[in-house]
Amino acid sequence: MIEYLEPLINGILLGGLYGVVGIGLSMVFGIMRQVNLAHGELMILSSYLSLVFLQVLGLHPLVTLILVAPLMFFIGYLIQILLFNRVMQRGMEPFLMISFGLSIIIQNALLLIFTPDARSLETAMVIKGVDVFGLFNIPLIYLVNFTVGALVLTALHQFMKRTYMGWAINASADNETAAKLMGINVNKVYAYALGIAAVTAAISGVLVGMSFTFYPHSGTQYLIIAFGVVIIGGLGSLPGTFLGGLVLGVSQLFGGRILGPGFQLLSGYIILLIILTVRPQGILGGR
Amino acid sequence: MPLLEMKDVDTFYGELQALFKVSIEVDRGRIVSVLGANGAGKSTLLKSISGLLETRSGNIVFDGKRIDGLPPHDIVDLGLSLVPEGRKIFSSLTVRENLMIGSYTPKARKQSHKTLKGILKLFPSLHARISQKGTDLSGGEQQMLAIGRALMSRPRFIIFDEISLGLSPLVVKELYRAVKKINQEGMTVVLVEQDVKRSLKVADFAYILQEGKVTLQGNPRHLTEETVKRAYFGL
Repeated sequence: MIEYLEPLINGILLGGLYGVVGIGLSMVFGIMRQVNLAHGELMILSSYLSLVFLQVLGLHPLVTLILVAPLMFFIGYLIQILLFNRVMQRGMEPFLMISFGLSIIIQNALLLIFTPDARSLETAMVIKGVDVFGLFNIPLIYLVNFTVGALVLTALHQFMKRTYMGWAINASADNETAAKLMGINVNKVYAYALGIAAVTAAISGVLVGMSFTFYPHSGTQYLIIAFGVVIIGGLGSLPGTFLGGLVLGVSQLFGGRILGPGFQLLSGYIILLIILTVRPQGILGGR
Repeated sequence: MPLLEMKDVDTFYGELQALFKVSIEVDRGRIVSVLGANGAGKSTLLKSISGLLETRSGNIVFDGKRIDGLPPHDIVDLGLSLVPEGRKIFSSLTVRENLMIGSYTPKARKQSHKTLKGILKLFPSLHARISQKGTDLSGGEQQMLAIGRALMSRPRFIIFDEISLGLSPLVVKELYRAVKKINQEGMTVVLVEQDVKRSLKVADFAYILQEGKVTLQGNPRHLTEETVKRAYFGL
């Protein structure tokens, strides 16, 4: 049994990170009924922004979030106001096209500026390990990822339950017309929502950048993980997203342990396929 | 000067004209009733006033300020609130959150706790259900919630769209009592109804719409059943 404890714990910890990776995509779908294909690129853009601040100012990657998070909020806000709000009433296709175009633009801009070389946000956390009952070591970075992930999801949940903006976001998602009659400027609320989704992209971008190497085209890979997470957990559900992250993380590491490292990604997607078959709305998806 | 003055308003759905030179005045502190059969243009009228639908010509003045062309959220901010037909309770919010979101405008926010207390006094049955999901309430309670939500913005002018639709007579009676109380507290009220009798009993003035035009207007006490019927059905 002990040999399975390690992939279980590591899988759960990895799942916490996957949860934050998925939350931005899940939010935008839950609120606007739209799919933001540029979410992965927003993440990787944040990784590169963090890299710049880290090199110029000599800050710890986590500390760069003080600058990267507000910057990404602003970028998300502007993207919604300038691009997405123009096509919100026209179904899903125009939104998909614009966000796909945006992802290509960001990817190529990063390629132009930063070259295709592998980068990472180097910290000592990657090398340091935490001893678990003298049985095995967990990389400290995994523990940090999980903690930050859980904190972000809890904070977001509280924000949605306790603030006027949180209520306004939910109200606009439920019934746009009624929301307008409450005095809510729905376009502005959507801009806030994309801004917040971009902040979660910033946080996951920095965590991912600290944990793995990244390239200008890495966004796609994380977009696929985000899709997996929200499909497993249920689109638009916050606790579902967290759970979806855990399921994907654990099934990847278990598959890797049982079938061999080459099967890690595959086993995650097999679980995804099974859940899609038996529960297409996701584990906690309702609507 | 009336609190709300609508003059020669034309409104279209695409190419289809729904309002034809509609003029309406509502004096401060009054209860004004707008009546009409299905498709007479009542909902279009309300959408035009609240900014949900753009008017093509004419003008709408609220408290001396032109509001036609303003977005709905700015009109709410000026103190005009609409209780929509079908209640439109937010399904992902609790009763308390549904009420709180009514005080979204900056002015209303400052007094939200005081306003909330007053509303729970007006509708005590909401108090017991404050933490439940808004859409889990009964039809009558949902209507109370919708009214309370509109009151949370501290409006000077409140419009009720089909307040009694689909509700039992007992509940309707209670809702009308609340409407009168709201009016006595100084709010100007517009009632848009299919329930002609009840609505005319409480109103100070009435407009009857038919096919997008005002066919009759006057003090309900001076309107005979015969003229009302003719204006309503076009017989």
